[in-house]
Amino acid sequence: MDEEYDAIVLGTGLKECILSGMLSVSGKKVLHVDRNKYYGGESASICPLEELFSKFGAPAPDESYGRGRDWNVDLIPKFLMANGSLVKLLIHTGVTRYLEFKSVEGSYVYKAGKIAKVPVDQKEALASDLMGLFEKRRFRNFLIYVQDFVEEDPKTWKDFDPVTQNMTALYDKFGLDKNTQDFTGHALALYRNDEYLNHPAVETIKRIKLYSDSLARYGKSPYLYPMYGLGELPQGFARLSAIYGGTYMLDKPIDEIIFGEGGRVTGVRSGNEIAKCKQVYCDPTYVRDRVRKKGQVIRCICLLDHPIPNTKDALSTQIIIPQKQVGRHSDIYVSLVSYTHQVAAKGWFIAMVSTTIETDNPEAEIQSGLALLGPIRQKFVSISDYYEPTDDGVQSQLFISQSYDATTHFETTCLDVLDIFKRGTGEEFDFTKIKHELGDEEQ
Amino acid sequence: MANRSGTAQRPNGQTQGKICQFKLVLLGESAVGKSSLVLRFVKGQFHEYQESTIGAAFLTQTICLDDTTVKFEIWDTAGQERYHSLAPMYYRGAQAAIVVYDITNQDTFGRAKTWVKELQRQASPNIVIALAGNKQDLANKRLVEYEEAQTYADENGLLFMETSAKTAMNVNDIFLAIAKKLPKNEQNTGQTGSGQGRRLTEDNPDNKTVMNCCK
Repeated sequence: MDEEYDAIVLGTGLKECILSGMLSVSGKKVLHVDRNKYYGGESASICPLEELFSKFGAPAPDESYGRGRDWNVDLIPKFLMANGSLVKLLIHTGVTRYLEFKSVEGSYVYKAGKIAKVPVDQKEALASDLMGLFEKRRFRNFLIYVQDFVEEDPKTWKDFDPVTQNMTALYDKFGLDKNTQDFTGHALALYRNDEYLNHPAVETIKRIKLYSDSLARYGKSPYLYPMYGLGELPQGFARLSAIYGGTYMLDKPIDEIIFGEGGRVTGVRSGNEIAKCKQVYCDPTYVRDRVRKKGQVIRCICLLDHPIPNTKDALSTQIIIPQKQVGRHSDIYVSLVSYTHQVAAKGWFIAMVSTTIETDNPEAEIQSGLALLGPIRQKFVSISDYYEPTDDGVQSQLFISQSYDATTHFETTCLDVLDIFKRGTGEEFDFTKIKHELGDEEQ
Repeated sequence: MANRSGTAQRPNGQTQGKICQFKLVLLGESAVGKSSLVLRFVKGQFHEYQESTIGAAFLTQTICLDDTTVKFEIWDTAGQERYHSLAPMYYRGAQAAIVVYDITNQDTFGRAKTWVKELQRQASPNIVIALAGNKQDLANKRLVEYEEAQTYADENGLLFMETSAKTAMNVNDIFLAIAKKLPKNEQNTGQTGSGQGRRLTEDNPDNKTVMNCCK
């Protein structure tokens, strides 16, 4: 460890592993350390099942749960948008070749106590029972508008300026009612609250396009999920970093981040060992005094021995409960994965209900989500603080990632990573630096 | 990542023999010659001063066995073995492993035994393990006796050969021996076999399955 590095990365969560990979690929000498003896930090998948039970102080699982090693339970639920930034990063970096994915089978939205399939194309819009007959036609016209919309071509804007006019104005243009706005904004554009209504319409249009482009890629739903759980993602990027010379140390406690002149980082100390460096990248848990709490997220892991009712027995699905449907300010998300993803023993399902906390009784807040699941065999509730760094790190050269938020996908995760990389190196990540001929020797 | 076996269809409709693809992982102490063995096997090359593994951690090579083409997808450790930081992903779905030691270094043989135990703990129970005593060209400096390694291999059900990446001795042979021992039927995917997911690619998103992903 007593060496000098360009960058030391602390924590092997997904963000840190992507950063480590990008830095190594860019020719930086990287040391990547984790205090835990496993990869993934908060974005790890817990294996075996016994470890999950003991982590939450529950008595060991009985034999009905099958082999403990067949389980890989995510602590943070997310899906990948098939056409989203993380998939692009995976493909451009070649990390995708270490992973296999499955399409998520269903995408549902909650309305008036029931769930309905999220309609995304004209055909589905007309068949959907989310809207009345006339509303269906208006929604279809809206979808056609979004589909034909090209940001660079004002002719496709059709007498509407999406940059100066907000989303409410666009909804009004098509005469969409509040219910339709609700599932459009929350289940298609995937906003967590209603602030977007006052933002330029182009932002929402792009998000709906991301949804439909993602859907077009693999069918069924716009979401993908990796076999063996989300914990595979950080491991894949860590491998990329190692291939490009990154040094990995797990199970290594970090006692101090050392600062020198002008408050700039000069190294990291573990016991008596000091590794020198020019920069440190880390997650908030390594620098409690340099982050502030922004909010709290509740996540409830539910083990089920059946699929979610009314989802046509989907082996994976997502249900979004738009805030207004249940009198809230932020959406509730339900995700389901199962044995088919090698994350549970045969016949088992893992549902996760999560939301941003708004009251001092968070468990009551997710009740409407839990009620959709049917009988729950085992429930684990966790409440996590959500942190963000107090400064941009340019002065100290200590770059801190934000905690994982309540969003159901990785778009904000990637934005944070790309932003940190830019602050740290002063440039955008150059994908052409990846030497495919070295990493890939396909015949 | 497992036994993606299937029958390849040539463009002209002619049917080729069966193609089976297997994930093979390398294990062993730093500097015993893991990368050199692969480089010799895949490219027929040898570099006296091979750098520590950088940038070459995913190689493929095929072997023909009668009517079957065995394609190895070979994973190198990328140096992650150094501080015991190999990810579970490395072992995941591996159907074969070569555990390498240096016959001129007794410690590396001890470590090889630890790696075998690690494989028995982490990997699929059906994994085919081969033990390679590398640097056989330096037999005059030998510190690990052939018989000692052979006995250990027999006791643990491992294939065993002494190899030399430098002279190419037994390099192809050890891969061939593994290929022969691997199950070639579609059903036999092992406990941690493929979850039947798909690999993501840029150009052919419509590729619905990866059952037969011979490039």
